Amino acid sequence: MNEVEKLEAELRELKPLPPGDAFKSRLESALGDAGKVAMRCLPEEHAEIDRPAFSLRQTSESRFPRPILFGGLAGLGLAALWAVILYVSSSIAPDARNENGIEDDLLVFQKSPPAAVLIAEDPDSPLHGRSLEQIQDVSVMPVSGWMDPQSSERLLRMVDEGVIDRPGFLPARRVRHYFMDETLWRHSDSDLRILSTNPREEVFLIESDTY
Amino acid sequence: MNSEPIWKSWFERHGAKLLLFARQQSRRPDEAEDLLQEAFVRIWRLYGHTGEVSPGLVYRAIRRLAIDWARSIDRRQIREDRVALDSPISFSFERTLEKDERKQALLRAVDRLPGQQKEVLTLKVWGELTFEEIARVLDESMNTVSSRYRYALQKLKDWVPEELEGKKEDSSPAS
Repeated sequence: MNEVEKLEAELRELKPLPPGDAFKSRLESALGDAGKVAMRCLPEEHAEIDRPAFSLRQTSESRFPRPILFGGLAGLGLAALWAVILYVSSSIAPDARNENGIEDDLLVFQKSPPAAVLIAEDPDSPLHGRSLEQIQDVSVMPVSGWMDPQSSERLLRMVDEGVIDRPGFLPARRVRHYFMDETLWRHSDSDLRILSTNPREEVFLIESDTY
Repeated sequence: MNSEPIWKSWFERHGAKLLLFARQQSRRPDEAEDLLQEAFVRIWRLYGHTGEVSPGLVYRAIRRLAIDWARSIDRRQIREDRVALDSPISFSFERTLEKDERKQALLRAVDRLPGQQKEVLTLKVWGELTFEEIARVLDESMNTVSSRYRYALQKLKDWVPEELEGKKEDSSPAS
């Protein structure tokens, strides 16, 4: 290493002072929405700390990735829910067969009491005017005791759609974000979970500065 | 899943170097942060959506803004501020250097460099830019910036022993 290289190395050892926290907060507010356009996922160890209590991955030996596990269980949960609803509706509904044992849809329709009347009898009922107790007795799904739903959003991707002209305004860059909103309902006693996923997109307009 | 804006980690990596350059370019020490903020916000609004911004763009914006701002203030103000501009570069570095005589001498020598050479040295050593990038930031040719860098290092090589000697003479008791 010659003298100049040594000098360069010595210079590099000197570390400039980093900006203070107050300045960073100032910068954050100055950036506004433009600062939130590009996001990065935090490493897993940070996510572990903030993992909600309802996480399905309770052991490290889980063989399936978390999204697949969630999706699979949610699918099973929803399928079970539909099966229960169909079963309840068919078992509680009046007999759909006539005296000859022949199914008669028209007859069933005519024999069924008007739903509006029964809903009026039990305004809390979510299903064919049946009371919540009736539904709970027949189904395996608890009606009450559900915890508040947990919602989260996941950024899937973002697309830069380029600069657009806006009459009467400055040109702006249009960036479209695709999110997946997830809502999880959990029943504390039975540990039953239902996951709902809903795709959503948002458009950000970032004004172009002229300078 | 937790997430945070990318600009934060980007700024964590480049903020200190950019602020050092902004301090060199600004007319007043208290103007450096304003300069950096303005330059960074402008560039991030234009290119931040890509998730990665070349630091060279922000260096260039800092320099251009510094020139624009300097033009907008009157000559008298500039004369007054010139005094502040000559504040030592050592103020922009970590205080742990205070006990290291050689490093202090090095910074004093850097302070003595002509502005253009100091500018190139800062971008090369602490900004970690290539000569090509520095040339783009400063609107100069690559040969010019590399020459300035070589001259700067040569001067530092000569001046550091002088600075160390001067320090010794200052601290030695009067005979």
